[in-house]
Amino acid sequence: MSSRDRILGRLRAARQPFADTPPLAERRAMVPIEDTSPAGLQRRFTSEAEKLGCTVHSVESAAQGVRQILNLLGSDTAVLSWDLAHIPLPGLAAALDGAGIRRAVDDPSVRVGITGADAGLAGTGGLVLTTGEGKPRLVSLLPLVHIAVLQAGRIVPTFEAWVEGRRAAGLAFGAASTLMVVSGPSRTGDIANIPVRGVHGPGAVHVIIV
Amino acid sequence: MDQARGTPPARRQEDRKKIPHMDVDSNQFIPKARIAIGDPQLQAALAVSTTNSISARAESLFAFGREHGEHMRQQAAEAKRRALRHLPDLLEQAEARMQANGMHVLWAEDASEANRLVLDLIDRHEARRIVKSKSTLTEEIGLNTALESHGLDVLETDLGAYIVQIAGEHPSHIVGPALHMSKDTIRDLFVRELAMPPTDDAEQMTQFVRERLRRAFLEADLGICGGNFIIAETGSLCLSTNEGNGRMVTTLPRVLVAIVGIEKVVETVEDFTTLAQMLSRSNNGQVMTVYTQMIHGPRRPNETDGPEEIYVILVDNGRSAIYATAYAEALACIRCGACLSACPVYRTAGGHAYGSIYSGPIGAVITPLLAGLENATPLPYASSLCGMCKDVCPVRIDLPRMLLDLRHDLVEQGHSPALWSMGLRSWAAASGASRLFTLARRGARWGLRLAPRRLPGPLDGWTRYRNLPPPASRSFYELWRDRQEGRDHE
Repeated sequence: MSSRDRILGRLRAARQPFADTPPLAERRAMVPIEDTSPAGLQRRFTSEAEKLGCTVHSVESAAQGVRQILNLLGSDTAVLSWDLAHIPLPGLAAALDGAGIRRAVDDPSVRVGITGADAGLAGTGGLVLTTGEGKPRLVSLLPLVHIAVLQAGRIVPTFEAWVEGRRAAGLAFGAASTLMVVSGPSRTGDIANIPVRGVHGPGAVHVIIV
Repeated sequence: MDQARGTPPARRQEDRKKIPHMDVDSNQFIPKARIAIGDPQLQAALAVSTTNSISARAESLFAFGREHGEHMRQQAAEAKRRALRHLPDLLEQAEARMQANGMHVLWAEDASEANRLVLDLIDRHEARRIVKSKSTLTEEIGLNTALESHGLDVLETDLGAYIVQIAGEHPSHIVGPALHMSKDTIRDLFVRELAMPPTDDAEQMTQFVRERLRRAFLEADLGICGGNFIIAETGSLCLSTNEGNGRMVTTLPRVLVAIVGIEKVVETVEDFTTLAQMLSRSNNGQVMTVYTQMIHGPRRPNETDGPEEIYVILVDNGRSAIYATAYAEALACIRCGACLSACPVYRTAGGHAYGSIYSGPIGAVITPLLAGLENATPLPYASSLCGMCKDVCPVRIDLPRMLLDLRHDLVEQGHSPALWSMGLRSWAAASGASRLFTLARRGARWGLRLAPRRLPGPLDGWTRYRNLPPPASRSFYELWRDRQEGRDHE
């Protein structure tokens, strides 16, 4: 008999615990959101993301978003980036090429990484990122600065609401190789409880809402 | 470590059925706690970290009103209990879904099997450079020691775990391994062991470690991580982390080995959303950890990064035995650490006194269950039963009830302190005989008046830090009798 069968056998032989736990009468989201209008969600997302230590730039046009990214890149000559098809900023490719900025997917010496975002969570200020073809894991991890481009229409009230939406749309969660919520810059309190940003992941997260 | 006292008894052949699942040094709780109480630096560190955590927790959990926060605790408690109720079925479902996602699933009955599986994987993949993100279960099974005894170096990459590893110490807290160390201690350690340019700035110290570990991540060929949750319906391996080292470990090395306890399975993604948020809010008030990951398998065709192979080792190590007892509720723990921060005993004694990776109230329950009651006899008494642990637990584990039950088990198994048993026997004999009891009560009143301010011999423990209270002039019994007879003098 294998370890697997012995473990499962022992669990099955036990009297089932918590058999009398009553079912939950009402399932709630961790953060109640009252104002679910698009403007309300964007306001809430912005304030929660800022509380986490993100910098939020709401831009009126793609061109303004592109300019913002070029500003953040400063004099850098390379950037880590998702496939630009997954970054909702038309004109970004031409602008980067025009500025002579090389795009890479895993160069650890590069300072800034640019991704899109599947969703923004208004209640907690987090960004939902999925990985897959053209959306490498390292772009939001290796650099010191992470820029996420988020479409305003993708801001949902909560993590729970995003899960509900994905289920309703019939999208399998496992369709993405990794699915994560990024809630602010990398942080630690391991040295005497002193908050420090940018331990191993990015120390700065910029969200550009288009 | 004091070798003379409390060394676990040599393991006998016939005790094979009772092999402890964890090596601990918990019978030294009282002398170790005494040392901790006399260490002003530790007391200061404990006061800051526990007070910060517990106030941030309350603010965050009750940000939308107490009723809402309590509802969420109920919701989280229900999710974990439902998962435990269907644990064998959910484990099979999780295994099937993880395999469908391209992950290998292995099972380990105990610590030695888990460690052997890891060693086999390291061999098979010819891995030499191993990086690890923080995992309490790997501390429980002694993985690092097992790997080191095979000549393998394992690098801890969580900042706190890295500090503790360099210092050659053990973690003092499941979430903040180096919470017992001051900034100066850590600075001196880095300067001495790593030749860090001297600095008093925590940020510069962190940057120094970032650069050192960055090279290690890029060169590593095998990563070891734990798992906060496994979602049965989707086969997701879920990790809640803050620093980014957990993402590095699960992304850069070509092989990833996740070591996860069988009690970590939950049923649905919705359960996970509740529990992941309750975990971070209960730990230090964070709305979510910085990185909340759901991993669905290795690198896919057309992906440029991610591990090529993922192995998930599901570890029992005593959990199925706990499952069959009245202590099954302890398996609901999500390791947030709130009960540690809230506990007056932990706040004073610190984590190391418990002699186990699991400290605080949950540690005082889990440690005896995993290591054997005889190897942790002081821990069920390391509580004033004030109930704070139960009040702050995000999954409403009734820790005081289990601590009391463990005390009962200790007495049943003959582990209760001799003096205490003798006292209780005398009490039972005297209270059963009314005249003897009255005499003893009067004797005690006079005895207490005459008693020195410090009690002699083994009773000294009671009076070392406090004075013996003067006895009331009239006992409750006498007051009650008078009241019944209508001669109340008050």
